[in-house]
Amino acid sequence: MKFLKSLAVAAAAVVALGAGRADAGNVPGVTDTEIHIGQWGPQTGPAAPWGAVARGTEVLFQMINDAGGIHGRKIVYHSFDDQYNPARTKAGVKELVEGGPGIFAFVGGVGSATGMAVKDYLNERGIVWVGPAAGSLQWITPPQKNLFAVYPLYVEEAKVLVDYLVTQEKKSKIAILYANDEYGKNGLQGAKGQLARHGLEPVIEVGVGRADRDLKSHVLKLKQSGADTVIMWVNPTHAVITLKTAAAMKFAPQWVSSSTLSDAPLMTAISGGLWKNVIFTSFSELPSSQSPLMLDYRKAFDKYAKKGERWGVFFLAGIAFAEPLVEGLKRAGRDLTHDSLIAALESLKDFQGIMGRIGYGPGERQGQKEVFVAKTDETGLKVIQLSDWMRPN
Amino acid sequence: MDGLTPLLQILVSGISVGGAYGLIALALAIIYKTSEVLNFAQGDMAMVTAFFAFSLLVPLGLPFWAALPAALGFAMLVGAAAEFLFLRRAKEPNVLGLIIITLGLQMIIFGFASWKWGADPKDMPFFIGPFDVFVLGGLIVSHLEMLTLAVALAVAGGLALFFRFSKLGVAMKATQQNRQVARIMGIRTRRVLLFAWVLAAAIGALAGLLIAPTGTVDPYMMWDPMLKGFAGAVLGGMTSLPGALLGGLIVGVVENLFGFYVSTEFKSVVPFAIIILILGVRPSGLLARHYVKKV
Amino acid sequence: MDMRRAYYEDVRPFGSVAQVLWLLALLAALAAAPFVVGGYTVYLLGYAAIHVIVALGLNILVGYTGQVSLGHAGFFGIGAYGTVLLMNHLGLPLLPALFLGALIAAAFGFLLGLPALRLEGPYLAIVTLGFGLAIEVVFEKWEFFGGSVGPPVPDFPLRFADGLTADQNLYYLIAILAVVSTLAVRNLTRTRIGRALVAVRDSDVAASCMGVNLTYTKTLAFALSAFFTGLGGGLFAFHLGQIDPTTFGLVLSILFLAMVVVGGVASILGAVAGAVLISLLNLKLKGLQLADFEAIPLIGGALAEFLTAHFMETGMSNIQYVVYGLIMVGIMLFEPLGLYGYWIRAKIYWKSWPF
Repeated sequence: MKFLKSLAVAAAAVVALGAGRADAGNVPGVTDTEIHIGQWGPQTGPAAPWGAVARGTEVLFQMINDAGGIHGRKIVYHSFDDQYNPARTKAGVKELVEGGPGIFAFVGGVGSATGMAVKDYLNERGIVWVGPAAGSLQWITPPQKNLFAVYPLYVEEAKVLVDYLVTQEKKSKIAILYANDEYGKNGLQGAKGQLARHGLEPVIEVGVGRADRDLKSHVLKLKQSGADTVIMWVNPTHAVITLKTAAAMKFAPQWVSSSTLSDAPLMTAISGGLWKNVIFTSFSELPSSQSPLMLDYRKAFDKYAKKGERWGVFFLAGIAFAEPLVEGLKRAGRDLTHDSLIAALESLKDFQGIMGRIGYGPGERQGQKEVFVAKTDETGLKVIQLSDWMRPN
Repeated sequence: MDGLTPLLQILVSGISVGGAYGLIALALAIIYKTSEVLNFAQGDMAMVTAFFAFSLLVPLGLPFWAALPAALGFAMLVGAAAEFLFLRRAKEPNVLGLIIITLGLQMIIFGFASWKWGADPKDMPFFIGPFDVFVLGGLIVSHLEMLTLAVALAVAGGLALFFRFSKLGVAMKATQQNRQVARIMGIRTRRVLLFAWVLAAAIGALAGLLIAPTGTVDPYMMWDPMLKGFAGAVLGGMTSLPGALLGGLIVGVVENLFGFYVSTEFKSVVPFAIIILILGVRPSGLLARHYVKKV
Repeated sequence: MDMRRAYYEDVRPFGSVAQVLWLLALLAALAAAPFVVGGYTVYLLGYAAIHVIVALGLNILVGYTGQVSLGHAGFFGIGAYGTVLLMNHLGLPLLPALFLGALIAAAFGFLLGLPALRLEGPYLAIVTLGFGLAIEVVFEKWEFFGGSVGPPVPDFPLRFADGLTADQNLYYLIAILAVVSTLAVRNLTRTRIGRALVAVRDSDVAASCMGVNLTYTKTLAFALSAFFTGLGGGLFAFHLGQIDPTTFGLVLSILFLAMVVVGGVASILGAVAGAVLISLLNLKLKGLQLADFEAIPLIGGALAEFLTAHFMETGMSNIQYVVYGLIMVGIMLFEPLGLYGYWIRAKIYWKSWPF
């Protein structure tokens, strides 16, 4: 009997020890020498091209660690593959947060559905999340204390494009080709709303199903509508199919696209050279920019990036979305807690790395609200900047 | 544009894309006709062939007349390997088990292709530019569209003749109807099966190579066409080859008509609705003979 | 295996005391789990348990009735959306909403069963595929369902005991429903309905000659299968915390089918095993890094060099698909009865040892 009792006590002790894992008073994910930052991303699966985002952040962190880290702490980066599957995102985030040293903050993260699966979980734990890699309204509706959006809203981007097209290019017969998902519908909503403010209507709105590969009926509809401008809010593959189909149908409007397609060299390469004179928006400096900061990043890319990695917009986005977090970590100083990071982030006003100006405030969680308009040239390889950083009217 | 030209235009588009679907349907039907297996890996086998062709054409710079036949050869190898290494090794398989094996194959091929060539989409060079067109009146038909349709018709016609008149074709039909008896009659069923897979792989690869220049070459490029091809094969009757082509054409045309005149977003679902209606009337598909099960 | 000499012996719930004890041990382990392992493992257990319920449902259709379905993700989605929308719009409490959501899925299952009366094999597969596709498109397009973002999932309201977190409460509900479903399906398949299903599977013409009403049986099979799948879907909505149309696509339907076939058709144990294996593989398989290859003794370095020369290092994570595919193929190649077949073989081996 005594043996059983002591066994029970031992078991209870083990359970109690196991249950109470984190030391009281320590911030999870932060030690004297390390800050643990995590990111999920589609390294494989239907959104695999966007896996470059997580890899871009990795290179930025390696660059920072090489320079000595932040206030004596090195960044330990945990990125995992969620295959664009929200169940995996949640599993991976739970595993990181509840195991081992924990995670202090999350950065980036491609996808609306994937991010939404973990948004509440991170909120409950007060874990800061900076720069979701999607310009969705959901991150800031309603604003959360720990969630800092960086990517300008798709809705606002569409408005800027429409403003530019109507006022500068004097276009009035504008059609909209949109993906049948949240990204595309947000773009449609923004474009339509802004056209209405100019007293116009889209000539036609054509939706594209996610897995569709045959866009002949879509393009014929666009052609029949008599539009002279088509705003494309679709993914790169659909854009390429659209342009190729249109070329075969001898339909040549002014093509306009969102920042998702702002990687001009890639688009030119995969469209067989059709990506000429395309107007698009960009949320960050272009990969071809020669600014000092960009050149530093290129050096880091040359040094750390995996073989076969392409220096493109998605990769750059991984760096860009992490810049505000890095700045916030620097400003928070040596005494690093969730609250100190949040306060530091809220102190950002007109902070600019390679993106536009980013600012937060108490209750203000949409970091960047501006984009600029650019155009590819006759070769499709060079980009001509058409406007400065601008916001919609 | 007057009212008739867009209709004709969309019909032409539908028929040509239906030709590609028809090729996939033919490939699926051949394997089903010989072994009652639904080959889920068909699409990705075509995809990996397209990637292979791309890697011959672009980094290695081979000319088309060398690279494309080499790609077809590669496809046949893949088909043969699939049958020999995987399907044949299954012990006392039931149909569901074989389907899962093809599913596993599909994953292996998909993973391999994504690993080897990466996730960035690619542009497939072709000996016909996708923008070369014939213009007849108000109608614009691209060379590639015509080629796709021509290939589909040629393959379907050739296969119909083959199955009707050649010994191997009859042997394939016999293998499907009753494998035991076919063996007793002296047919080498194993070879017949191998041949079926090789043939199907080659035809699927043709579809892949014709679809690739119209869009991008990426690991998911054949998912949608595969689905449409499957729908077409079922519609036409899984054991009827002309039916498979017809089914593919119908799917392409219906899809495009609906997409143009009604709604582009529901475009993928409409072929299935049509199929359900048609299967209600002819449960074995349009052109297949309905074998009544005996107890 | 064991001889049955009376009808009662065939249908009784527990064949021996050993079975009862194992079941109790399993129940105890499930009940103790949240206190012994961390939240992450509880999440995995819940995920696997939801897929067990789905696999049981699909097994009724595929294993016991011999029908094919490539559209079960549609029922999963109907259950998820149904439960959430009933709670949001009608204010129903959780359990009735869950049950009603599953019933709505069952109603759709009945509808889908009607074409099954005339079709078989790939023809039926296409119809179910079309169904799954249609459901996905409807969810995406109709704003009533929340469009692309999906409806907001309410917080999990049930409390089994004080001091438990919402996650733990959810886990208990899932575990309880999984166990109940397993026992229910087990009983179902051993009694009259199960025999009718199997009779239809093995020869429907003969079955109808014996007095089995084909219409009733086939549609019932679809409806039952859809019910359990919908139940799993409703639980899944809370487990993930959000639902959107992209989750319920063809890939998921294929995953469900794989669970059932790899586990072993027409076997409860097989469905459970297949569900646990496939769902956890789906969640946990990770790609390897180059460093993992280099660590292989002897050939590691050369292998890593070969791989970097000929494969994209950025695509290395895709090896998980290759592994996943190899596992599925491997299991099915050597044992068409799937995991259950291996279990039987192991039992026979040990029982007849040393012969």
